Amino acid sequence: MSDIDIKRISYLAKLKLPSEKEEFYSNSLKDIIKWVDNLKKVDTSKTEPLHNVTEKTVSIRNDEVSKSNSVDDVLSNAPERAQNFFKVPKVVE
Amino acid sequence: MSNNWEMVIGLEVHAQLKTSSKLFSSSPNQFGSEPNENVNFIDSGMPGMLPVMNFGCIEMAIKTGYALNFKINKYSVFERKNYFYPDLPQGYQISQFEFPILSEGYINIDSGDNQKKIRIERAHLEQDAGKSIHDIDPKYSFIDLNRVGTPLLEIVSYPDLSSADEVINYMSSLRQLLMYIDVCDGNMQEGSLRADVNLSVRKKGQELGTRCEIKNLNSFKFIKQAIEYEFQRQINIIDGGGEIEQNTMLFDTSTGETRAMRSKEFSHDYRYFPDPDLLPVNLSQEQIDKIKPLVGELPQDKLNKYLDNYSLDKDIAKIIIAEKQNANLFEKMISESTVKPKFIAAWLVGDIFAFIKENNLEVNSLNDKTKDITDLLKLISDDVISNKAGKEILPKVLNGEGKPSELVKELGLEQVSDSGELEKIIDEALVGEEENILKFQGGSDRVLGYFVGKCLKATKGKGNPKLINKILLEKLKK
Repeated sequence: MSDIDIKRISYLAKLKLPSEKEEFYSNSLKDIIKWVDNLKKVDTSKTEPLHNVTEKTVSIRNDEVSKSNSVDDVLSNAPERAQNFFKVPKVVE
Repeated sequence: MSNNWEMVIGLEVHAQLKTSSKLFSSSPNQFGSEPNENVNFIDSGMPGMLPVMNFGCIEMAIKTGYALNFKINKYSVFERKNYFYPDLPQGYQISQFEFPILSEGYINIDSGDNQKKIRIERAHLEQDAGKSIHDIDPKYSFIDLNRVGTPLLEIVSYPDLSSADEVINYMSSLRQLLMYIDVCDGNMQEGSLRADVNLSVRKKGQELGTRCEIKNLNSFKFIKQAIEYEFQRQINIIDGGGEIEQNTMLFDTSTGETRAMRSKEFSHDYRYFPDPDLLPVNLSQEQIDKIKPLVGELPQDKLNKYLDNYSLDKDIAKIIIAEKQNANLFEKMISESTVKPKFIAAWLVGDIFAFIKENNLEVNSLNDKTKDITDLLKLISDDVISNKAGKEILPKVLNGEGKPSELVKELGLEQVSDSGELEKIIDEALVGEEENILKFQGGSDRVLGYFVGKCLKATKGKGNPKLINKILLEKLKK
C-alpha cells in the first residue's frame, strides 16, 4: 500500500486539518484502505468490469424545453445574492 | 535559431451543441439570457435531483461521428469528474472518460498545397460549467449558472499538427463541418467553439518533448498568437539550459503572452468514477443507422459536385462551400433558373458577395431575392443587357428597388442586339476609314479594337459588343 499524502487529501476535500491531527487521520485512513484492500483477494481476471448494477440502458427524454421554477426559487438558498447573481467570496484561479 | 525546432500540437476542441434544452435537464440551452434565468434545480445541483439524458445530444454526437469519420460506440459511460469551483454547483462535471461515444476519427485539412490527414482520438459528451464574474466587486465573485449543463462535445485530436497555420485550418475545417451538420452554431465569440492547445517542441527528428496546455482560446487570432508565443517560450527555456515543466497555461489577450495557470504543488486529481445517477448508454445499430441520413451533404461532397457537375473553378467552388449558407443560396439559384451554374457562381462570389460585405448583411438575407437575381443574370447571359449594365442594376435588385426587367427599361439599359440596326451604325463608323481598313487587312489586329470602340460609342455603350465584333469582322474581311 502506498503512503498517504494527508495534506493533499485534506486539500482535495476542502477540510482544514490541524497539524497535530495529521498522524491520527493518516493512520485511520490507512486502516480503512487496508480493510477495503481485502477486495483484492477476489480473482477478477475473468470478470468484465461493471459500470452499473442494473443491466438497463440510460433513460432518455426528447430535446424539449420546460421551465419548472423561477430565478428567485434557484437563488432562495443562496447565502448571498446580488441582483440575480449568486454572490460568493472571491475565487480566482 | 528556431529553424531546427519543430512544434508538435494536439487540440482539444469544445463544441457547444445547439440543442433546445440542456444535456441532463430541460432548461433552455440559450446564450444571452438574464443571469440565472435558465437554471433549474438539476443545474443548480440541488440534492436529490436526477439528471435525465437528452437524446438530442446523442443524435448530434452520432451525426458528428459520421461527419468526422469516427467509430460510433454503441456503449458509452458517463462519469463524474470531481473538482471544486463555485461555478460548478454539483461539485463534479458529468463527462465521459473511459468509454466515450466516439473514437478514432479523422479529417483531412489543407497543408500548403497538399492535404494532410489529422487523426482524432476521441470525442465525448460532457456538461459545460457556469460563469464567474470577478470584476464587479473587489471582494466577491458573482456567479451566473445559465451555462451550467450546456451540452459540449469535446473533440480530442492526436498530436498530428505541426504549425499554427495547420491548427487554424484544422479548427476552421471542424467548424465548417459542425455547422454543415447543424450541431454547433460555430460562434467563437460567444464561446460556442473553443480550443485547448497542447504544444511541445523538439529538434527535428527527435522524441516528443514535455507539453504545456494553453486553455480556452476562442478566436483564430488568439490561437495563432498563443502558439507562436508558446513555441518561442519553450525554445528559449531549453536553449537557456532549462527544462519544460508540464503546465496549464492561460493566454493573456492584452499582452499576447502565455503564463502558468495552476500551481503544480496541488495538481488536480479528478477521481473519475461512473455516475451512479446515470446508467450506461446502450445504442442499437438501428438507432445509429437512423441518424445517418440526417448528416446531409458535407463540404467535400458539395465540392466534388460543383467541380464535376457544374464545372466551377476550384477556387470559386471553395469560396461557395466555405459556409453552408453560401452553398444553400447558390443551389437555390441553380434550381430556380436556367442560367448556367458557372455564370451564377461567378456573379455570386464577385458582385453579390461584395454587396453583402459592403452592406454588412447575412448571406441568408438574400434567400428571398434569388428569383430576381437569377432573372437579372438571365438578362445578362442572354445579352439583353451588357455586363456593365448588369453591375449597375444588381445593387438595385438586391435592395429590392424593382424587378430586373423593369429596372432595365427604367434606366434605358437595354442592349442593342438588333443586327440590322447595328449594321447601319457600323457602316457609318467605317466611312472615311479606308486607311485603317487596309491596315486591318494587312494583319493589324489592334485596329479591330479601335473599330469596336468607335461603334460602341456610337450606340452610347448599349450596343451588344459580341454582335458588333461579329458583324465588324464579317465586313472587314470582305
